[in-house]
Amino acid sequence: MADPIDVPVETNHNPLQPPESYFVPATDVYETADGLTLVAEMPGIRPDGLAVTVEENVLVIRGAPGPEASDGEVLLKEFTAGEFYRAFQLPADYDTERIEAGLRQGVLTLTLPKSERLKPRRIEVKVE
Amino acid sequence: MAMIPWRGRTLPVATLTSLREEMNDLLSRFWSHTSEPFGLAEWSPALDVSETDDAVLVHAEIPGIDPKELDIAVVGNTLTLRGEKKSETEQEGTNYHRVERRYGAFTRSLRLPAAVDAEHVTAKAAAGVLEIRLPKREEAKAKRIEIKAD
Repeated sequence: MADPIDVPVETNHNPLQPPESYFVPATDVYETADGLTLVAEMPGIRPDGLAVTVEENVLVIRGAPGPEASDGEVLLKEFTAGEFYRAFQLPADYDTERIEAGLRQGVLTLTLPKSERLKPRRIEVKVE
Repeated sequence: MAMIPWRGRTLPVATLTSLREEMNDLLSRFWSHTSEPFGLAEWSPALDVSETDDAVLVHAEIPGIDPKELDIAVVGNTLTLRGEKKSETEQEGTNYHRVERRYGAFTRSLRLPAAVDAEHVTAKAAAGVLEIRLPKREEAKAKRIEIKAD
C-alpha cells in the first residue's frame, strides 16, 4: 500500500493556498484493517479556524490559532503553534467521500475507510 | 607483539588507507547503532514564557495530553512540569506509515524570573495548550517610584 506523501507546496493546485508562513503539524499516519488514520498535532487551533479539504486525492489541512494573549514581556518562545498547513497526496485505495475528522485537545484525527472494492469480499455461492 | 622483519619492502599505501577507512566506517556504524531508538528519545513540551507586572505566564504545548494527568509543582523559584504523552492504543495489525509525533514521559523544569506565590498558581488547558499563571509575590512586583519634582 502506498504511503501518503507530502505534496510539494509549489505544485499544489488546491483551493486552500498555503499562507505566507506556517508550521507543519507533526503527523502520524497509520493503517489498520479498516482504513487509514492520520493524526496531526495542531496545538492552539480553535475549531472554527480549522479547514480540511480533499480534492482529487489531495488532502489539505489548515488551522488558524486563537488570538494570542500577548500580555507582558516575552522571556521564552518555543512554540510551534501558529498557523498550520499541510497537504498530503493520498493513495487511491481510500474512500475520500467517507472521510471523518475529529479535533480534540489540539489533535486532529482523520480517518478514511478503505474503498469498498478493495475489501476482501465474501462471494456467496449458490448451490443448486 | 612479534617484530616483523623489515625486508626493505614498503607496504602499499592503498591497503593501509582502506583499512583505516574500514575501521572508521565500522566505528561510526557502531556509534550510530547505539543512538536512541525511536520512541525512547527525550521529549518535552515547547514552552512560551512571558512576564507581566504582577505575574509570570507559562504556556506549554500539550496536544493529546490529558491535563488531569499533568503534575505541576512550584518549589522556590522553580516550576516543574511532569507528564506523559501516550500513544493511542495500538490494535493488532496496525501498520505505521509515518510517525512524527513524539511520545513518552517528560519532566521539564523552569527557573522563574521572579518570586511567585505558590499558593495562588492557577492552570487551565484548552486546545492542547496549557496556561499556567503564577502571580508574583508582593515584593517581586514592579513598583512605580514617584518622583517628586520641586
